[in-house]
Amino acid sequence: MKPTKDRHATLVDLLDRILDKGVIINADIIISVAGVPLIGVNLRAALASMETMVKYGVMQAWDEKIREDANRTQLKTIKTEILSS
Amino acid sequence: MANGLYLYCIADGHVEKNFDNIGINGQEVYTIVYEDLSAIVHDLIVEQERVEGEKLNECAMKHAQVIDVVWEKFGTILPLTFYTVIKGDEKIAPAQNLKNWMCDDYKNLKQKLAKVKGKAEYAIKIFWSTQKIGELLIQNDPEIRTLHATIETSQKGLAYMYKQKLENLLKKKIEAEAERYFNDFYKRIAACVSAIKVEATKKVDLDKQMLMNLSCLMSKEDSAILGKELDLMSNINGIFVRFTGPWAPYSFV
Repeated sequence: MKPTKDRHATLVDLLDRILDKGVIINADIIISVAGVPLIGVNLRAALASMETMVKYGVMQAWDEKIREDANRTQLKTIKTEILSS
Repeated sequence: MANGLYLYCIADGHVEKNFDNIGINGQEVYTIVYEDLSAIVHDLIVEQERVEGEKLNECAMKHAQVIDVVWEKFGTILPLTFYTVIKGDEKIAPAQNLKNWMCDDYKNLKQKLAKVKGKAEYAIKIFWSTQKIGELLIQNDPEIRTLHATIETSQKGLAYMYKQKLENLLKKKIEAEAERYFNDFYKRIAACVSAIKVEATKKVDLDKQMLMNLSCLMSKEDSAILGKELDLMSNINGIFVRFTGPWAPYSFV
């Protein structure tokens, strides 16, 4: 078995490393830009929710809903146009 | 004007080098040297720096890419955690702050560099299918087989009771199996690597469980030996192995 470094297959392994690990400087020369310490959390949350959404097909449903809404709006516009003409 | 330094990693050796615009947001990456240590950085204006949402993913990837490029060039590095920014003020420039830190922490940094020299990090995740393992136990474990046979010859009420008993027994046996596999695999993996870290296991799919999650430090040559050992493990019915790397030594710094 050879180790893989394929970008898609190893995304989680990579993020685990760069967000939670690596040298951490414990000194007051480090900046805390507003929200920066939360970056790891946010990124992970964003990715996790994407995974879950895709898994349960929510994205697809959401996509369909948007299309439907768009169609409705379009239909409404056409109707209004017809009525006003 | 730039009032901060984004720090990617610390490399072993005195190398003054410009890596061009390979940094996050196309920033120019270069080295700041102290004695025989080189810090790999890009300039940044702290007030303007805001990364959110989708861009974060891209930035994190870039961070890792820069570290990989530098790692290849220098051979031995200590990667910093994502988004480490060195600040400065009216009295002291960020570069000076960084150099002071490298000076103060010199011994510690050199020790860490020595530890990871010539080595890379690999991730090993071992999964198992509890269903498969359960099936195997039902077939092969004498205690379970006896109980299973008793159920088939018992009357309804009694059979129900035995079934409960069987479920509990199976659960206990599966836990024991997990422990047995863990100890066995751990020993075999540890024999191939320089250092090993047990990471928390995570939830995966319903039909698969993560049995162990390890970060290992070793030379690239040793990874071939480990690969063979992992092949043997993944040949076991119901066991799945994921082997990724080589990574910069994020877990061993």
